[in-house]
Amino acid sequence: MLTKGNLLTYLIALLIILTLNFFLPRMMPGDPLMAIYGDEALVQMSPQLKADLTERFALDQSLAEQFASYWLALFRGDLGYSYSYNAPVTEVIFGRLPWTLLLAGLALLLSTAIGIMLGIESGWRRGGRFDSGVLSGMVTLSGFPDFFLGILLLLLFAVNLKVLPLFGAEDVYSGLSGFARLIDIGEHLILPLTTLVLARITGGYLLTRNTMIGVLKEPYILLARAKGLKPRTVKYRHAGRNSMLPVMTQTGIWMGLMVTGVLFIEVVFSYPGIGLLAYDALTFRDYPVLQGLLLVSAFCVLGANFIVDLLYARVDPRVSYAH
Amino acid sequence: MLKIEDLKVSFDGESILRGINLEVADDECLAVIGESGAGKTTLGLSIMGLLNGNTAGQINLGDTNILTLSEEEMRNLRWSHVAMAFQSSQNRLNPTHRILDQVAEPLIAHGKQEKAPAREKAAGLLEKVGIEPEKLSHYPHELSGGEQQRVLIAMALVNEPELLILDEPISSLDAKSQVEMIAFLRRAIAGRMTLLVTHNLSTAAKLASRTATLYGGRIVELGPTNLMLSQPRHPYTRALLRSYPNMTTVKDLQGIKGRMDRRVIGCPFHPRCTQAIPICREQIPALENHEGRLVACHRGGIIPALSVTDISKSFKTLKAVDGVSLVLEHGETLALVGQSGSGKTTLARMLSGILEPDAGEIFIEHRKAGQPSKDFHRTVQLVFQNPGEALSHRLTVLEAVREPLEVQGIGTRAEQDKAARKVIEEVELPTTEEFLDEYPHHLSGGELQRVNIARALVLNPQVLIADEPTAFLDSSIQAKVLKLLMNLQENRGLSMLFITHDIAVARKISDRIAVMHEGRIAEQGSTSQIITSPSSPHTQSLLDSAAGLHSDTEIARDE
Repeated sequence: MLTKGNLLTYLIALLIILTLNFFLPRMMPGDPLMAIYGDEALVQMSPQLKADLTERFALDQSLAEQFASYWLALFRGDLGYSYSYNAPVTEVIFGRLPWTLLLAGLALLLSTAIGIMLGIESGWRRGGRFDSGVLSGMVTLSGFPDFFLGILLLLLFAVNLKVLPLFGAEDVYSGLSGFARLIDIGEHLILPLTTLVLARITGGYLLTRNTMIGVLKEPYILLARAKGLKPRTVKYRHAGRNSMLPVMTQTGIWMGLMVTGVLFIEVVFSYPGIGLLAYDALTFRDYPVLQGLLLVSAFCVLGANFIVDLLYARVDPRVSYAH
Repeated sequence: MLKIEDLKVSFDGESILRGINLEVADDECLAVIGESGAGKTTLGLSIMGLLNGNTAGQINLGDTNILTLSEEEMRNLRWSHVAMAFQSSQNRLNPTHRILDQVAEPLIAHGKQEKAPAREKAAGLLEKVGIEPEKLSHYPHELSGGEQQRVLIAMALVNEPELLILDEPISSLDAKSQVEMIAFLRRAIAGRMTLLVTHNLSTAAKLASRTATLYGGRIVELGPTNLMLSQPRHPYTRALLRSYPNMTTVKDLQGIKGRMDRRVIGCPFHPRCTQAIPICREQIPALENHEGRLVACHRGGIIPALSVTDISKSFKTLKAVDGVSLVLEHGETLALVGQSGSGKTTLARMLSGILEPDAGEIFIEHRKAGQPSKDFHRTVQLVFQNPGEALSHRLTVLEAVREPLEVQGIGTRAEQDKAARKVIEEVELPTTEEFLDEYPHHLSGGELQRVNIARALVLNPQVLIADEPTAFLDSSIQAKVLKLLMNLQENRGLSMLFITHDIAVARKISDRIAVMHEGRIAEQGSTSQIITSPSSPHTQSLLDSAAGLHSDTEIARDE
């Protein structure tokens, strides 16, 4: 179970991250405004704007006061202003976040579920035809980098066969609404989603299969068979459940690294999520956006760990006992 | 009824069970005992149909040979008809399920009961085996090893199987819980076919009416439990008993020499057996009827190494030994206890061929011993009371130990030296040149007696007669020499006749005691029985005068 001590750990981690976020730009050489706003701001920098910004960040005041106003801004949900997007950073990021959540969340769910299922079946039939087939397929698949798979699928289904859209998350100017829009979004989702699932599935599969092989040698499996349980019950209730545990940890780690994990795929498919946003912000040296993304991904990592902790304690009672 | 016929099990070409024949009646508990690796658990699992190895033979449960059943038929049989209380071990219970669910699972899976009544029944059983109600929803890791074992026993009983297999059912419990569990199991197995698999002889004694000893994948002895445990006939059963700590026997624990090897040809026990003869190395002995039980031994079980019938000796008018009959069995220590002048030493001298009896006969194994000969001395050797007098003061240690080989004309000088050094090492003496060249008067009492023992052992005798071998030694040296004799017996399988006036010594080192009084055997029996319930007044008086550490005995006698 989640205890107070556990929660405190998360809080401390968050405080450290947010504090670093404050100090990092200020430790960079040169004008902190330059560091905070980058090249883009320099072009537009007028004395009036500079004065505004200086006041906004309390740059003429002591470091302690700057720190205080940084926190106040955070509480207001103010992550700064992006001059390349001409919009508040919060708005920019939250405009993109749903797309990434949709893509990465589904990919995570599907790849983990399929990986676990195949892993359980494969481990149960270790050495059999099914196992060898799936195993060699998976190993081959894992040889391809995700962006390469993406390009391959893109060329095949969007360029050559022309059955699926080339880029984006939806046809922006089509004016579709309701169900038709959902279908449109679905069509755009298929290729990046398939790519991500294919790229991610091997890890979960191999981990589950290996764990399954180990679990099947455990004394409680012999006991389960001795009890005259159906093979399906032994496979899923007794062996499968215990084989899922390492995969959950792995999935949690990946969930936290979502922003970077989907970066290549979003770039390849021009999918307007935060991966693509990070890529663009890097290209334009849009520091406020990058800083905001740093915060978002820190939240993701912590949140993912939190969820895994909760789930793990439900699936494996030994975990809560250990606290 | 369970009837196992010629059951053979092998894994990857290695035979684990090599032709087991067993029957368990409908309301009977049969114990299978043996050390780890004997194949006990394999036997249990083969009845559950859970072995991946090659299985041949028949396991008949009622009219069905379960080895011919399909996996689906076997699955229906498991737990409903045959259930096994597995030995408790790490991860025996599924770590991610609550114990109550795990116990109730077979009831639900076999469609015997719905979920709710199944859990109710499981809860009742768990409570009966001693799991507190608040622990029912615990996970296995929250229970102690003993509690996990209780869960496994409750689980085995939940579907009320006709045949129950108990695999080391109390091994993880503490002493007090063991007593409670035995009482529970007695009730639980009443009227049920039960196969108890254990190395714990006390469990076998308390639960099983019949016991089988398993060794190297074969049954070597099978009979009524009380008979097997009080008078074992197979050397292995006796060895198991000797190595089992308990409150009934008083002799110090002894191990079994060597270790089990499954690839032995012939009798599986012969490499560790001390009475093996050539045929044991070649042929597998059949289980045959001997003295009310079945024994698989070419020699019909433990044989007498040395026996005398009705032996007598008089010196002028004094009848020193008056019609004594005694049997010294192979590999055992028989203590001959009596006061000075009771005729012990005269008897010992006749047994060792030094003195000729007036009447009566001496047998070595089953052969009658004729005139004392070189051959006789090769079989029977004597260790004397006074170690200093027994050794010639003109011989060095090496020469003294070598001498019997020279007399017998065995081997070349180099071989004799080698044999002598080996045996000197065996009695835990140094084998440096300086020591070997020592003369007796330079040695301590303990060293002298060790040289004497080495001298007696150099001919590889079967029987060692030790006449008060520790009488001249102080108690710490005596303890070491006694330990040495015990170890020699374990390793060589010596049969020892130990003559002493001290029943306290006899108690620690002997399997049986014969009490001698005025030239006759006043009483003989197992050491524990003689010590705890003596029937002869002479025994009682020896016991009364034996060393004790309580102050009140001395005072009581003074009054």
